[in-house]
Amino acid sequence: MPTILSHSGRLRRFGAVNWLGLFTLTRRETSRGLKDYNYQILGPVVSSLLYLAVFHLAIRTVGGASGSHADLLDFIAPGLIIFVACEKAFENACGSFIFDKHERVMADLLMAPLSSVERVCGYLAGACLAGSVVGCAVALVTLFFADLTLVQPWAVLFFAVMGTMMHGLIGILVGIWAEKWDSYAAVHTFLLLPLSFLSGLFYRVENLPSLAQELVRLNPVFYIIDGFRFGMTGSGASNPWIGAAVLLAVNAGLFSLAYAWFRRGYRLKP
Amino acid sequence: MTPALTPRRYGAVNWIGLWTLYRKEVRRFLAVGTQTVRAPMVTTLLFLAIFVLAMGHSVELVGGVPYMEFLAPGLIMMAMTQNAFANASSSLMIAKIQGNIVDLLMPPLSALEITLGLALGGLTRGLVVGVATAAAIWLFVPLQVSHVLPLLFYGIMASLMLAQLGIVAGIYAEKFDHMAAVTNFIITPLAFLSGTFYSTARLPEFGQVLAHLNPFFYMIDGFRYGFIGHADGSLLLGVLALVGVNAALLLANYLSFERGSRLKA
Repeated sequence: MPTILSHSGRLRRFGAVNWLGLFTLTRRETSRGLKDYNYQILGPVVSSLLYLAVFHLAIRTVGGASGSHADLLDFIAPGLIIFVACEKAFENACGSFIFDKHERVMADLLMAPLSSVERVCGYLAGACLAGSVVGCAVALVTLFFADLTLVQPWAVLFFAVMGTMMHGLIGILVGIWAEKWDSYAAVHTFLLLPLSFLSGLFYRVENLPSLAQELVRLNPVFYIIDGFRFGMTGSGASNPWIGAAVLLAVNAGLFSLAYAWFRRGYRLKP
Repeated sequence: MTPALTPRRYGAVNWIGLWTLYRKEVRRFLAVGTQTVRAPMVTTLLFLAIFVLAMGHSVELVGGVPYMEFLAPGLIMMAMTQNAFANASSSLMIAKIQGNIVDLLMPPLSALEITLGLALGGLTRGLVVGVATAAAIWLFVPLQVSHVLPLLFYGIMASLMLAQLGIVAGIYAEKFDHMAAVTNFIITPLAFLSGTFYSTARLPEFGQVLAHLNPFFYMIDGFRYGFIGHADGSLLLGVLALVGVNAALLLANYLSFERGSRLKA
């Protein structure tokens, strides 16, 4: 049974899980991503509104106020909500590691009596919560401009958790591996942004050439956006069960890798 | 025997100092070319892809050309201006945070020389990014230059203006948070709502009036005229606006460095 000294000088005893430690790490991670709310929450809200405005005006420009373009905003809005939530989850987890490495406070985290699983869960929960808060803020503001519905609430919840989890796990892995902010920016620009933008976030994959339609199905982010949109609008381009299976598998893989890296102390311990 | 040390004499302008500062600004971004040149190429292509795919195969012409050719010049201009801004602003702000701003303030450089060195560095990054993104876009969109002079004038003046705005922001900002706020709430909205992605001619009347109050509109409109030979607004007004704003910013930045506000203790 693991034990540590408490404030009173006596040993604090805990069972298989150090709940207090896990909760403390989660709280730290969540609040670090939300405390400067005027740019950490308002910033993503403003940029989502800009995307909506620009698409709305571009549709007018190409003269597509009728027909297939009429509901483009209703189509984009759910994608935008989950996209922003996922971005935030990645930024939260990855930024935390790089910041701690720069400030040389990593040792404080490695010293805490937390197991490797508790560490991954703490960072991950913080990333998912921060992402969800930002996603909810964007959804609230988007309500004024697009018709949002909630056809399958369970699917919305499931794909939101899976999406933020995947991005949070990628954030943890990149954060452990990276030494500098350059690596963070490179992964974001050259990997995550293309995966999100080319996954049917802003257009219908049915309109793609057939080869591109096949390729899109190899992109896990496609299933996040499509599944989330299925939950909100009731229709998607793929079978949500396949999406769920793919995402569960990807997340399980990433989780085990993050666990293994923490356990070995890869790039964290000398 | 060693030659006696004598002070270096120079005329009204410290050319070596100005050249050194300019070279430092340029090498600073070239050293991380992946972030400063290749990243904007990728994001610009992504924007091109999503807008063209989302708008579908529209047959309607915008300003006399297909939507893709209408969009491309605006995307190039957006990349140029964002990078010109980022170069000057990050250079100043990081120097402030790391404390090596004194290395910029101590040398025998006048306030005007400092302003010019930083602004020309930002301008150079804007132009390098402009050429790089234009080359990337050219693989997908048949870009044709119809008026060279307006193209060069607007490209240079716009990058210079944003580089100077970057100096203003860099002097004002004391933390990364301040800079994120300026970028998120001022620069990006002005750039997005400037008519890059849509034609202001299709806006309702009130929207047109608003759009024409945005200096970014004239940059993109004039730059696009250089490519497609069609402008939504007045080119003369654009020239006057860009010259006027650049002159005003030069004066403002000169005065800031002269007074040392937010820079000297």
